[in-house]
Amino acid sequence: MNVESEIRQEEPKVAVDVSSIRSDSTDDSEQTGESPISIEVNDLSLFYGEAQALNQINLRVPQKKVTAFIGPSGCGKSTLLRCFNRMNDLINTVRITGKIKLLGEDIFDPAVNVALLRRRVGMVFQKPNPFPKSIYDNVAYGLRIQGSYSKRVLDEAVEKALKASALWEEVKDRLNESALGLSGGQQQRLVIARAIAIEPEVLLLDEPASALDPISTLKIEELIFELKKDYTIVIVTHNMQQAARVSDYTAFMYLGDLVEFGDTKNLFTTPEKKQTEDYITGRYG
Amino acid sequence: MQNSLLITEENRRFEKFRLLKDRIFSYVMGLGGVAVIAAITLIFVFLFYSVFPLFTEATVGDAKYYAHESSDDILYLALEEYAEIGLKVKSSSGYEFFDTSSGDSLLTGKILSENTSSLTAFARGDLRSRVLLLGTSNGYVRVLRPDYAISYPNDLRKITPTMTSLFDPVLVDDSFAPIRLIAGQSVEDETTIVTVSSDADVSILGLSVESSFLEEEVSVSIERSDLNFEGKTISQVAVDVEQRNLYVLFSDGMLELYDVTDKTAPSLIDRVKAATGGAKVTTFEFLSGGLSIIIGDTAGNLSQWFPVRDKDNIYSLVRIREFAPMEGSVTTIAAEYDRKGFAVGDSAGNFAIYHATAEQRVYFGVREGSVASFMSMSPRADAVIFGLSDPDRKIGIFEVYNEHPEVSFSALWNSVWYESRQEPLFIWQSSASNNDFEPKFSLTPLAYGTLKATFYSMLFAIPLAVLGAIYTAYFMTPRMRAVVKPSLEIMAALPTVILGFLAGLWLAPLLEEKLPGFTLALLVMPLLVILAAYLWNRIPESWKRFNLEGWEALVLVPVLGLAAWLSLIMGDFIQVTFFNGSLTHWMSTEMGITYDQRNSLVVGMAIGFAVIPTIFSISEDAVFGVPRSLTMGSLALGATAWQTALRVVLLTASPGIFSAIMIGMGRAVGETMIVLMATGNTPIMDLNIFEGFRALSANIAVEMPEAEVASTHYRILFLAALVLFLVTFMVNTIAEVVRQRLREKYSSL
Repeated sequence: MNVESEIRQEEPKVAVDVSSIRSDSTDDSEQTGESPISIEVNDLSLFYGEAQALNQINLRVPQKKVTAFIGPSGCGKSTLLRCFNRMNDLINTVRITGKIKLLGEDIFDPAVNVALLRRRVGMVFQKPNPFPKSIYDNVAYGLRIQGSYSKRVLDEAVEKALKASALWEEVKDRLNESALGLSGGQQQRLVIARAIAIEPEVLLLDEPASALDPISTLKIEELIFELKKDYTIVIVTHNMQQAARVSDYTAFMYLGDLVEFGDTKNLFTTPEKKQTEDYITGRYG
Repeated sequence: MQNSLLITEENRRFEKFRLLKDRIFSYVMGLGGVAVIAAITLIFVFLFYSVFPLFTEATVGDAKYYAHESSDDILYLALEEYAEIGLKVKSSSGYEFFDTSSGDSLLTGKILSENTSSLTAFARGDLRSRVLLLGTSNGYVRVLRPDYAISYPNDLRKITPTMTSLFDPVLVDDSFAPIRLIAGQSVEDETTIVTVSSDADVSILGLSVESSFLEEEVSVSIERSDLNFEGKTISQVAVDVEQRNLYVLFSDGMLELYDVTDKTAPSLIDRVKAATGGAKVTTFEFLSGGLSIIIGDTAGNLSQWFPVRDKDNIYSLVRIREFAPMEGSVTTIAAEYDRKGFAVGDSAGNFAIYHATAEQRVYFGVREGSVASFMSMSPRADAVIFGLSDPDRKIGIFEVYNEHPEVSFSALWNSVWYESRQEPLFIWQSSASNNDFEPKFSLTPLAYGTLKATFYSMLFAIPLAVLGAIYTAYFMTPRMRAVVKPSLEIMAALPTVILGFLAGLWLAPLLEEKLPGFTLALLVMPLLVILAAYLWNRIPESWKRFNLEGWEALVLVPVLGLAAWLSLIMGDFIQVTFFNGSLTHWMSTEMGITYDQRNSLVVGMAIGFAVIPTIFSISEDAVFGVPRSLTMGSLALGATAWQTALRVVLLTASPGIFSAIMIGMGRAVGETMIVLMATGNTPIMDLNIFEGFRALSANIAVEMPEAEVASTHYRILFLAALVLFLVTFMVNTIAEVVRQRLREKYSSL
């Protein structure tokens, strides 16, 4: 329990009450051992041209849990995250060795359809990026590009996604208004709704709250907690408190290396590596 | 160290200098901005200033009256070119030339030397020919012509009037019956005289002057025929200047038109009822050129008539248009010498000036109850001389300021029934070799030409430029983009005169010869490209030895070359096999589709080529400016690149692309050199892509050098420029407004 108190001491910085979240998260953490593996990373190295960004990463992301990547800027945590849905393909100079398996399937296999991969591995970016369309069209976008046009199906899916992302009550009367009129926090939740509308298996969150105010951050964190019932969530965050609050597992990365990976509680209380301890106690980063 | 915010002694010089520089720069920049706006405003003001007189109403000066006349009737009044000398012809005392400024008599003469007869009939011939015809009470006809000799003693203009008798008196009727009405023309060696003696007996005389080489003698041969209208009363006769048409007006309002080309055998062309309602026709008068007549009646109605030829070459006299009626009965009509204008006086003492083609009354005024019985315009239409009837009986003259009566909204934009045309048409024909020509100032065919050029060039440019922009901004590798974009933008610097030259002298003949091949290419090229793309995907990876890495588009170059070559070969084959060697010839003979060598297709391609860089560059910026986060967001949702391009990138960039198209359109509308060089510049209205047109801009370029400064033609060209200016201004403004709104709308992205 002294882990908890240690973290609790740092809470005032965020100025939100997260006690309710934590009390729930402890219930789940008991089953960690048996959790099946969603994403398996084997000897993954990534190069931007000549520069190596990831070095021999090995990692197992458990299903329906929240896994957080922490580490100082430039440590490669976002790069690793982007490997999971092959967003790095968009950069021409990237070269990847090693393997990533999604539920046992090699995602780098040349036969893999990247669009289908991304449909199964959703992603939310640091900055909210709603399309310049209506709220409804934003959420329905993912379904429409899959060829689903039935109004009934779309209506249902949009409502479900917006409810799941806790935005429904705020926008249900203005679904046809432009999404650009929403606040930053609402936009980020909309983007999450958009991502979960197509019911992916994995949801990648790339610093989803870093551009938001504390209240919106809290809402996003509550949402992540809700979403892990249905989705495997991988979150990249700068904010160690956030990682501690929302995640079940944490990976600490440093200069392209995966330094330590383990149960969040253990990693924050009894880190195995000195580098990890130095980082979480604020000696660098 | 000083902590003051104020300027202190230490930093004084430096700060002052800095502030001064700052201020100078802000003034210079401000001045530049203001100068640009001022320049544009000045252009607008100048155009407007040049155009404005077109829409001002005519005005007249105060009348100047001369001494009271004796009670005998004035038959004729006229002014010479400079309106310095007036001529009056009286039934008893002959003619008199007088100075219009002082009223002094300059020359008087008797028309009839013997006192055995009096003048009973009078008519004027064509205004420019100045011929006067007089009939006497003993059946003779005299043909006179006033002449004005201009000399410059002491560098001052001096006009000396003389009166010439063209023939010895011609005896029309052996019974010496008095001539009641007369009409006629005398142009060069041909003279026609039509007389009506007391009843309804019409005599038509054709006089030809033949001069023999050897002797100085001239002989006159006379042809004649007679017409008799039993039981009718003729109230007016008139012969046109061509001496082909004879109009006979009866007192019951019927108007008959005879062909008198053969003076011995007049034939009836048409008979119409000229009067409307219960009104009676009072007088009619030829307009300049003698093609149409203006009929005035007791109700003040004025209508224009001329013979119209139908498809079977049969003429009929048609009421072309009505003019705003006068208040009283029409008493006199005076035509202008060169323009299709005329002045009218009525029994209520009103005076009005009309213009026939423009279908408008340019002046209307009251002359305080005095009724003009006779009126003439000066040759330059800048003065009117008139004689008042009882009880005033005096001659007056006033100046007329009527510079641009030809311009009205209907004359500029509506279809107008021009003289000797079969129907109302839109025609631009601003000048001709003769003076009495009716100028046709319809801007519609020109505006139509501009729109046609814009339409076809946009049809060519928009797909190429916009699709190219999307490809370049969204799919192309940065290295290739860095080459392609600037290269295309440099195309914009190509002088359009070169494009016009190439289009007119190289592309146009080539296209005429290879039309089937060109049409095929539109089909073959996309097909081959798709085929090539398919094959490219089917080629095993190991075959692709060279890492093309984004330069795949280069593979298309030989494919496109092959497609062009194939289309041309196939086109030639098809042309020879099915179209007797020439599709264009076949089209015009078999399908009735006219093919001009320099046509809209050629122009569309050339202007399209000129505007592609503009549209491409702005659209490319718009597409490239779509935030990467949106593309990533879409891709992360499992969208393919194509879905992302279509549904997110294009959507977000659409206002930018729209504004690019508008700016390109603004350029196409104003494009001059290409439309000038690559079309036939025929102002016709036809959507046919294989025919030419004349655009507003090209028209200005073609005609401005030949337009007389400050003439109506000149000002209408300025009006065309103003229209162009406003259209391009509007198009560009719309583009800019859309862009601004877009910027606001997407500012949060």
